[in-house]
This record gives sequence, C-alpha cells and structure tokens, in this order.
Amino acid sequence: MLACQHLFIREQVLLRGRAPWGFTLRGGTEHREPLLITKVEEGSVAAAVRLQAGDEMVSVNTVTLSGSRQEAICLVKSSHNSLALVVRRWDVQPCSRS
Amino acid sequence: MERDIVQGFYTIHRVSPGISIGSRLLASSTACHQTHTHLKRGSSTVKFIDSRVNLTPLRFEGDLIAEVPRAFRAGLPVTFKWLLFPVTDFFPLLSLQTFTAWCNSHLRKAGTQIENIEEDFRDGLKLMLLLEVISGERLAKPERGKMRVHKISNVNKALDFIASKGVKLVSIGAEEIVDGNAKMTLGMIWTIILRFAIQDISVEETSAKEGLLLWCQRKTAPYKNVNIQNFHISWKDGLGFCALIHRHRPELIDYGKLRKDDPMTNLNTAFDVAEKYLDIPKMLDAEDIVGTARPDEKAIMTYVSSFYHAFSGAQKAETAANRICKVLAVNQENEQLMEDYEKLASDLLEWIRRTIPWLENRVPENTMQAMQQKLEDFRDYRRLHKPPKVQEKCQLEINFNTLQTKLRLSNRPAFMPSEGKMVSDISNAWGSLEGAEKGYEEWLLNEIRRLERLDHLAEKFRQKAAIHEAWTQGKEEMLQHRDYETASLSEIKALLKKHEAFESDLAAHQDRVEQIAAIAQELNELDYYDSPSVNARCQRICDQWDALGALTQKRSEALQRTEKLLETIDQLYLEFAKRAAPFNNWMEGAMEDLQDTFIVHTIEEIQGLSTAHEQFKATLPEADKERQAILGIHNEIAKIVQTYHVNMAGTNPYTTINPQEINAKWDKLVPQRDQALIEEHARQQNNERLRRQFANQANVIGPWIQTKMEEIGRISIEMHGTLEDQLTHLRQYEKSIVNYKPKIDQLEGDHQLIQEALIFDNKHTNYTMEHIRVGWEQLLTTIARTINEIENQILTRDAKGISQDQMNEFRASFNHFDRKRTGMMDAEDFKTCLISMGYNLGEAEFSRIMSIVDPNRLGIVTFQAFIDFMSRETADTDTADQVMASFKVLAGDKNYILADELRRELPPDQAEYCIARMAPYTGPDGVPGALDYMSFSTALYGESDL
Repeated sequence: MLACQHLFIREQVLLRGRAPWGFTLRGGTEHREPLLITKVEEGSVAAAVRLQAGDEMVSVNTVTLSGSRQEAICLVKSSHNSLALVVRRWDVQPCSRS
Repeated sequence: MERDIVQGFYTIHRVSPGISIGSRLLASSTACHQTHTHLKRGSSTVKFIDSRVNLTPLRFEGDLIAEVPRAFRAGLPVTFKWLLFPVTDFFPLLSLQTFTAWCNSHLRKAGTQIENIEEDFRDGLKLMLLLEVISGERLAKPERGKMRVHKISNVNKALDFIASKGVKLVSIGAEEIVDGNAKMTLGMIWTIILRFAIQDISVEETSAKEGLLLWCQRKTAPYKNVNIQNFHISWKDGLGFCALIHRHRPELIDYGKLRKDDPMTNLNTAFDVAEKYLDIPKMLDAEDIVGTARPDEKAIMTYVSSFYHAFSGAQKAETAANRICKVLAVNQENEQLMEDYEKLASDLLEWIRRTIPWLENRVPENTMQAMQQKLEDFRDYRRLHKPPKVQEKCQLEINFNTLQTKLRLSNRPAFMPSEGKMVSDISNAWGSLEGAEKGYEEWLLNEIRRLERLDHLAEKFRQKAAIHEAWTQGKEEMLQHRDYETASLSEIKALLKKHEAFESDLAAHQDRVEQIAAIAQELNELDYYDSPSVNARCQRICDQWDALGALTQKRSEALQRTEKLLETIDQLYLEFAKRAAPFNNWMEGAMEDLQDTFIVHTIEEIQGLSTAHEQFKATLPEADKERQAILGIHNEIAKIVQTYHVNMAGTNPYTTINPQEINAKWDKLVPQRDQALIEEHARQQNNERLRRQFANQANVIGPWIQTKMEEIGRISIEMHGTLEDQLTHLRQYEKSIVNYKPKIDQLEGDHQLIQEALIFDNKHTNYTMEHIRVGWEQLLTTIARTINEIENQILTRDAKGISQDQMNEFRASFNHFDRKRTGMMDAEDFKTCLISMGYNLGEAEFSRIMSIVDPNRLGIVTFQAFIDFMSRETADTDTADQVMASFKVLAGDKNYILADELRRELPPDQAEYCIARMAPYTGPDGVPGALDYMSFSTALYGESDL
C-alpha cells in the first residue's frame, strides 16, 4: 500500500541586500486570510533563497507574526540590509511503503 | 542658591519696579502690557524674547515662574513659552469656578464629579482619575488606603505623571495638596490646564496661548463685529463665543439677531448652546464677565480651549469624510470604467463571433443574381456594418488605456480584464475576422466571372442546338418517305442523287454535333448548375443523330436497290444543287459565327472584334460571286424551262435550297453583327469613363490620407506649444478629416457603379477601394488615438502637478530614445534611456521597473507610462493606511464602524456603497451590525509588493 504524507514544513530563509526583495504579500487578519506570498519575482533576492508562491509568512526578523497585514508590512519595510523570514510550506513527502 | 537658579525654577520674592528672584535674579517689568521681560542675573541682563507674559500676578511676593531653559545657564537669550503662577489666594473667584467646571467636564466622562476644588483632590484619587481622562493614558495603580501616607503616595503619582509630561512643579509638594492648601491646589490645576488643554494647541510653532489666539482670530475673521485680541476684554460682549459656535454649527445660533450692546443675552446664549449641544460644561457665569472690568484671562482661556477641542474634533471628522469620499469616488468611477470595458468587449467579441462564419462561408450560388446579392451584402458590411466596429475597437483600446492611467494615478492595482476579454484577445479575434474577410471579395468576383463565362457557354450551346434542331426538323420523316416506290426511274435517280446530297449534308453536320457535345461536356466540367437539362438536350440530339444515320443508311440501301431501275438526272438541277448546298452550308456557318455572342472588357478587345468583322466583310465579294454563279445556274434553269417548257421544272429534285432562301440569308448576314458591335463599343466607352472617374478621385484621396497621417504623426512627436494647444490643433484636424467623409462616400458610389458594370481592373490608378477604406479607417483611428494620448498626458500632468516645461523635457527625452519613431519605446530603448539618466540597473531591477511601466506585458513602454514612472517620486499618493485612518476618525476611534455612522458622515450613495461592500466585523470588541472598515480599505488597494 502506498501512502504519501502531506505535511507543512517550516522553512527559514535569510534575504540579503535591500528592498525591493521581490515578492508580493496578500491577506492578513484584516482580510480574514492567511498572510500568503502570492508572487516571487524571477531573479530577485526572494527567488534566490527559493521563496515560493503559496508560502505562508510566520515570522519576520524573529518576531512571530500575529497575522495582521499591517504588522507584517511594517516589519518587512523596516528591514535594511537583511530580512529573516520563517514561512510555512505545504510539502509532499516522498512516498513510502507502509 | 546658585544651583537653584541653574535647575531652572525661580521664586520671585519681590516685584515692582524690578523683580528679584531668589535675590539673585531680577525680572524688570516696567509695564503689564510689555511684551519683553528682562530677567537680571547678577549684573547681566537676559532678554526673554517675545514671551508675551502678562506680569500682573507678579506683583505678589512668592509667585513662582516658569522653567528656565538650559540656555539660560550659559547666559544666552531664551524664550519663555509660558509662565506658571501657582498662587491661590490671588486667583480670582472667577478662576475657581471655571477650574471646577473644567475639571468636572472631564471627570464626568469617568462618572464622577467634584464640588469643592480645594477639598476633593486631597486624597489624590480623583486627581489621578482626572489625569487619566484628559491624557488618555493609564497611571500607576492608586493606593486604596485611607491613611495620610496613602494619600501622599497617590498625589505624588499624579505629580510624577505631570512631571513626566515635561512640566516641573518645584514648589508644589504632595503634602500641601493633601493638607488642602488652596493656593497649591489651584496652581497645580492651572498647570494641568495649561499643559493638557492649551499647550497642545500648536499653530505654526508659536506658543500655545498664541496658537489659541490665532485660532480664535482665524475662526472669527468673517464676523465684522468681533475682534479678538486677547483672552480678557475681547470676549466681554459675548459675540466672540457666539461667532465661534456659529462658524462651526450655524444651525445652533441665529447670529444675525445678536446685538453688540446686549452682552448678557449673547453670553448666556453661547454658554447655554455650548452646554446643551456641544457638551461643553458651563464654566463661567455671564454676570461675572459683564460685572468685571477685565475678565480673568485663565478662565477665558480654559473655556475657549474647550471650544477649540470640541470643534477641531469635528473638523477632523469632516476632513476624514472628504478623504473617504474622494477615494470612493475614484473607485466607483474606475469600477464603472471596468464595467464599460467588459460590456464593450463582450459586445464586440460577440459581433466578431457571429460575423466570422458568414465570411468563411464560400459555398457558391447558382445564379448571377444571387451572387450579385452576395457582393452587395459584402459591400454593405464593409461600408455600413464594419466601420462602427472599427471605431468600437479603437474606443475599447482608448478606454483601457485611460482606465489604466487613472488606476496608476490613484495608486490602485492595474486592471486585469476577465478571462478572454484582454486587449490581446480582442486583437486576436479581430485578426481572425480580418483573416476571414481577406479574399472574400476576390472569391465573390471570381465566382461571378465564372458564372458569366458559364452563362455565355450555355447560351452558345442553346444556339447551336437550336440551329441543329431546326435542321433536323422533318429529316426523319423525309428519310422514311417511301416516295421512291411510286417514282419513275428518273425520279429514283433524282432521289438517289438527292439522297447522296443529303448524306454529304449529314456529314457536314457531323462537326456541329461534335461541337454541341463538346460544349455540353465543358459545361459539365465547369459544374454548370443546369447541366442535367443541357445533358438531356445533348443526349436527344445525339440519339436523333444516330437515328438519322441509321435511317440514311436504310434509305440509301433502298434507293440503291432501285437505282438500277431509274436513270434520269437533270444536269442543271444537279449543278445547282451541287453548288447551292455548300454555299448554303457556308452561309449557315457564317451566320452562326456572326451571331456568336462575345464578352470583352476593354475597348481594345472590341476594336479587335470589329477589325475581324471588317476582314470578314472583305471576303464577302468573293462569296457574292459564288452566290451570283449559283443564282446564275438557277436563272439558266428557269431560262431552259421557259425555253423548252420542261415538265419537271418547278421544284428542283436535287435540293430543297432555293434562290429565295439563299438571298434571304445573304441579306441578313451582316447588319445584325454591325449593330451588336456598335452597342458593345458604346458600352466599353462608358466603362472607360467610369474607370477614369474613379481613378481621378482615388488619386487625390489616397495621397491626401497619407499626408494627413504624416502630419498627425508630426504633431504628436514635435511639441509645439502646450498640451492644450496640441489638443486644439488635433481637434481641428479631426474636424477637417470628418468633413472629408463625403468624398469617400462619393468614391464608394463610383466604386459601386464600377462593380455593377462588371469592371475588374483599372489601369489609371494604383489605389483600389480597399486601399482607400483601410487608409481612411487608419486615419480615423490614428487621430482618435493621438487625441486620447494627449488627453491622458493632460490628465497625468494635472494629477501629478507636472509643469509644461517638465512635460516638454520628458517628451524630448522620450523622443530621443524612441529611435524607431513609433511613439513608444521597446524594452531596449527604455533601458538605454534609464541608463542615460543615471539608473544603474541589474536585470532584476530592470524587469521590476518594466513590470511597473508595462503591467500588461506588451513589451513596450508608452509615453504615458514613461511620464508616470519619471514623476512617481513626487506623486501625491493615497494609500490604504490613509483611508483606514480616515475611517477610524469617522468611527470615533473604534476598530469597526456602524452603518448609521457611515450614513451620517458620508453622502448617501457613497455610504451605501461602503455598507454593501464592508464585511461584518468579527473582533472581540465588536457589536451587532459592526462593519469591518480595515479589510475594506486594504481591499481597495489589493496586494502589496515588498
């Protein structure tokens, strides 16, 4: 019997350089949606660290997000030379026999 | 002592004429109204610039004055913001009442009151409460005990809080407040009023008091009988208070009815209205103001500051409402434009979808008439149905560009049309339409030409068949006639000879039958619609031909069987018959040729036919000789019959041809043909006239269109004058072009005549109607598009506040890099342009900029997008945060807003717009019917790029 495990994994990335980082953020508690990255610009800093469309933002510069859009945007905009993100990613684990 | 001075607070021990402070500092104050106060430190004089301090209360020993800035230590001139007078006994009764009312106006919000200002603050609890209400901050938790030590602790917490706001209260101690020292208590309350009610009023960095005064002057400026110069006597007549109320809430006071000489009524009106409608407690009694020569300044200031706070709040709400209205109006307008676009796009696509199958239908019609009808339908389509759609398409692109400009200007995300209605989709659909259209007209004309040729061929078939059928008429009966059975030998011989002659005649007709069959075959091959009847007729002719052959054979055999029996032949008749038959045959052939119908398309062709006819006529004398010879034989027979009275004369046994028949045919031979040629000649000349008429016009219109196109291109690229000048210029052009339309219509008329006359070529001009139509449509589209471009530039220029000079500069840069002179830059041009302006670009940065200036990914940068990008730094942007803040003001600081609040603050349609779109608020502090303005505001601006 084959069983594939669908899991959320936490991915920690460090973007170096300066804004624009090259991703688009959508949602927030104001919209009753999770904070999702909906676009990653090709060739950008965000693409270099393999951020993906669909990643959910969990923390910015070690601050755990409450889910508020304003908060997330303020934190990202206040980053100067580096931006440390933790995102939650829906990942399909390799199939294994059980 | 020296350290006290440096710390910054000074007790004045003696006043008048100079003030000595701590026996070290002296304030020299020569007059109360003086605006400059000099404090002496030892022997040096320090000037207090423009402190505008009213020094009246300083006549009392022990007064405390303000904080001295650090600069004073260095002996530099310093400015006092205000002076502090912690004096009680000397605060007039007026202040006591005002201060109590002021305190209560705030304490009320916490659900409590004071009655005696000196007693009720002693335990420090209400004092802390008061500070919490007016500052909006939380103080440390108060001690609940009733002992003195608890009270002192609470008062100290209050004093510490005041101190933390930048106010030092050196001479005020907690013990004195707890002990009920009226002087200290009132001094402290005045300090609080100054700090929280008045000092916050800051206009253009002047002192708080000046700020408040300036505000009063500005607000009362329109009232001629009000002149506010201070906070005491200027207010005595009460008109100042009334004016302030009337200015903000005109419905509350009938200002016109007030009289300057009735201060009691004025003051009471103002105070009553303020208490009832503005929630400002009555802090002064009208009698007290009218009854004193000079009302207490602190009391008036305190009271006026309450008005200030009441009204500036209202003003803030109004500003917020205005901002929201502006943003919503932009949004509603944009949504309307989006709807219009979608509607227009749907209609246009639907039309294209319906039209393409019609153009792709290439099933030919059977008759000329039906095909002509098709051609007419197509002409209608090109002249009447398609041009409005071309305009619609142009309009659609214009709307799309205008909308994107507006969205960009108001900072909104770019418009993405719904699936299948993108600009590129419209272009693709239009492309397939033109693809289907291409060749349709040519196909139609080819079909018509084919049908014409077929008709001609069929006519030829019918003529040949008719002639042949006429010839065969009675032949069968003749062949079956058994005349030879009763005939004499000579008659038999004659019958035999006659039969031989018939056989040769029959052989001569073989060719014709073959020709008829060949034509029938060709008609079959060319797919003639009436082939069945042609084939049937041809079959009949062939069958009859075979029957004739068989009968001839049979008769020949019968005659030969009796030939030996019969031998008499009349030589003369034989001779006649021999010569008349071929001649008659030649005549019939010639008649056939001459009656042959023809189609020609040029004068040259008809002239060729005429020449051929003339040549034929030239051969006639030779034929006439033969005719004369044949007639001669006949005449000879007649002569012989007459001479010898021969019995067998009368009918020629060898032939049915008689001289009358020959003559009749001969006379008919030429004139018919002459007539036909003359008519055709006239028709060709008429065609030639039509061609020239069309060509003359087309040769004028074609170059005219081209010239106009070039001129419009020049106007939009060269920048003569302001954008408005260019716009005016272009509008004139548009008008002149529209006025030209009748010429195009006239040309269409000529074109129709040409098509109806079946003229397919025109060597006098290189322009076809299609060239002209396409050129004309292009011209209309180009002028409309150019005007729209300029309008968008004006829109952008005005929205961004770009000057005409800047605009010209942008235009010059753009033209410099628009190397292909297309009115737009491709990505490469744009990159070069950016580099030349000092942008050092990586690929990523450049593609990011491209995604801003070219959101639809067309690979080009228009002038519009270019100025947008160049001016984006200075753009006054509205953002989601600003809108959210505005709603927060309307909501009275709540995290949600109620439908009633929206209806109260916004115009009806915009309020309903918001109510319909706002989601219910779900936060813990929500109430039933609460609406979520935060998600609404951010939704207006979509996603954030980070």
